[in-house]
Amino acid sequence: MAQAPYEKRLTDKRYPMKPISTQIKKKPWLGWIIFLGTIVVVFFLGLLASSIMERRSEAAFAFTPQVQYGDLEPRNEIWGKNFPTQYQSYKQTSDTLFKSKYNGSATIDMLEVDPRLVVLWAGYGFSKDYNQGRGHSHAVKDLRHSLRTGAPMDGKKSPMPNTCWACKSPDVPRLMNEVGVAEFYKGSWESKGHEIVNSIGCSDCHDAQTMELRISRPALVEAYERMGKDITDASHQEMRSLVCAQCHVEYYFDKNKVEGVPYLTFPWDNGFSAEDMEDYYDQIEFADWTHKLSKAPMLKAQHPGFETYMTGVHAARGVSCADCHMPFMSEGGQKFTDHHVQSPLNNVANSCQVCHRQATEQLISDVYERQDRIIENRDKLEELLVRCHVEAKLAWEQGATEAEMEEILMDIRHAQWRWDYAAASHGGSFHSPVEISRVIGTGIVIAQEGRIKLSRLLMSKGYTAEVAYPDISTKEKAQAFIGLDVATMLAEKEEFLKSVTPQWDVKAAEREAGYSVKSIFD
Amino acid sequence: MIRIFRKLAPTPQWRVPVVIISGILAGLFIYVFYISRAYSYLSDDPATCMNCHIMAPQYATWNHSSHREWANCNDCHVPHNNAINKYYFKAKDGLRHATIFTLRKEPQVIFIKEEGKRVVQDNCLRCHAALLSDHKVMNYTSTYQHVRSERPCWDCHRETPHGRVNSISSVPYARVPLHENPVPSWLRRLMKKD
Repeated sequence: MAQAPYEKRLTDKRYPMKPISTQIKKKPWLGWIIFLGTIVVVFFLGLLASSIMERRSEAAFAFTPQVQYGDLEPRNEIWGKNFPTQYQSYKQTSDTLFKSKYNGSATIDMLEVDPRLVVLWAGYGFSKDYNQGRGHSHAVKDLRHSLRTGAPMDGKKSPMPNTCWACKSPDVPRLMNEVGVAEFYKGSWESKGHEIVNSIGCSDCHDAQTMELRISRPALVEAYERMGKDITDASHQEMRSLVCAQCHVEYYFDKNKVEGVPYLTFPWDNGFSAEDMEDYYDQIEFADWTHKLSKAPMLKAQHPGFETYMTGVHAARGVSCADCHMPFMSEGGQKFTDHHVQSPLNNVANSCQVCHRQATEQLISDVYERQDRIIENRDKLEELLVRCHVEAKLAWEQGATEAEMEEILMDIRHAQWRWDYAAASHGGSFHSPVEISRVIGTGIVIAQEGRIKLSRLLMSKGYTAEVAYPDISTKEKAQAFIGLDVATMLAEKEEFLKSVTPQWDVKAAEREAGYSVKSIFD
Repeated sequence: MIRIFRKLAPTPQWRVPVVIISGILAGLFIYVFYISRAYSYLSDDPATCMNCHIMAPQYATWNHSSHREWANCNDCHVPHNNAINKYYFKAKDGLRHATIFTLRKEPQVIFIKEEGKRVVQDNCLRCHAALLSDHKVMNYTSTYQHVRSERPCWDCHRETPHGRVNSISSVPYARVPLHENPVPSWLRRLMKKD
């Protein structure tokens, strides 16, 4: 019916309520009450809405910076003005007093501790010089002092490319942003020495605007892409490991990706395990160097710390790198993340004991027990590898052909890769003792297989005596054994550190004087 | 049903103003619902508790504790004896918190109330009951269970899981899940263009 209910209401007794207009005509104050009532309700709802908005934005502005700097500010001390507590704890990474059973925060000459390494790396930079690194704040200084980077002076070039700077400094993301990624890796190491002067710090892991964790190194992002994963999907808890995985991982320099550029690449396409990466390298027929004694195409495991940690029980339980190496600490009435990145053995209370209720000594001895047991077999494998190299050298001298040696050299390559995967994973014997033991076990088998083949080959050449184990009881003897003149290198390095690096610092200081840093009080 | 609606419906000459006014009210109400993220309170996600940023110390300390892997905020702070009680307590506690927060009456250091303590203690026992009924220890000490259950767990376990430092300003730098801008990205883009 088109009959409007309104017409009905006017006449029908069942609708006692008159239209409001009629009512207001009779009682004008009623209109005012409706008007004012609506005002009050909308007013308070609006107040509530704006209060919620205000308090939401409060959270974003809770932090007031002292200075404003650029998005890629490389100088840690400038960030430190805004974040004094974090910066103070970061500065403690310069401490060199802590010593654990096998490592610590001081420089340890590993070739001195274990001269067999010299033979294993014969023909490669590591046989010149290999030190247990110090804290993050020493990164640039330690790299300048390493004999591996040589003494590039008077037109002489460093044997290392600029790629070696890639992990050492917040100047790296700055410079990559300026010149591009491939251009950054290009050229020999000394050519960007004046650009890279600030040691590993704030901008390597943090976004300057939000302080959120961020990935600053392209190699990790690219590796994720090749694995079909998007790193931007990582949760905050994952990021607390992934920022470390920008550097504490196995890598190699891909010379085919961009012509003439040693492009930093993570060999993760098949997986993280020693076998997966070994397959990857075998498929692309990559070798870091040819061994000076055995002529084997060798692989140098860098530091697959992240990869081995991922196979351990702590990773399986969701514990991140930062949980143990950068635990929460409290100072005064405040709590913050300890940026003194270090061995948890130096801070058991805030790391292990957050979850484990055992006594400090007990927890530390648990770690040492794992390290002791793994090093026992690692040492065995190391000795076998020395023998492999020496026996292979002898086989060449006895007139072995390349075809006869091929399989043996692959065994040496694989066995030493597994040894290095275990040894260079540093914390590996604690992060993942089971996996590391397994890898060393397979290494021992492969090394022995190789030696059986070697002894058969030597016998076929008429050599039946035992091959003597060389006298490599000290670093000097071992370096003399592989024919390395370290004294000259040391003298050149000293000259280089006196004449070249101070100029780098002067140039860097000039450049940095031009960066904009504004005090917000101006 | 239609009849009731007709009774309430305004007369024709009032329809337009009434529709506009009720639209304004409903819109404001939905807006408040949206920016306060009221819908998120039905979940157990700890990020929900960060709707009020003053909970950052509680979130950050929990996130650095061993409980992070096993228990979220609601596991300890709302009762779990039955679903009705859970949501009743959550609503009651939540509305009180929201009111205090809106009125800016939050204290510098937040202490748990008596009722909340009972809930937390019950929840400690919900998971850790076996610690109170260890027959081995009960053999040695007849008062074991009695002594243990009379005191709240945190009389001794003071660092679990939030630690002792808990003022609102205690974690100025903690990276906690803050909300994204409530303005949708397409709108931000449009506004930037102008």
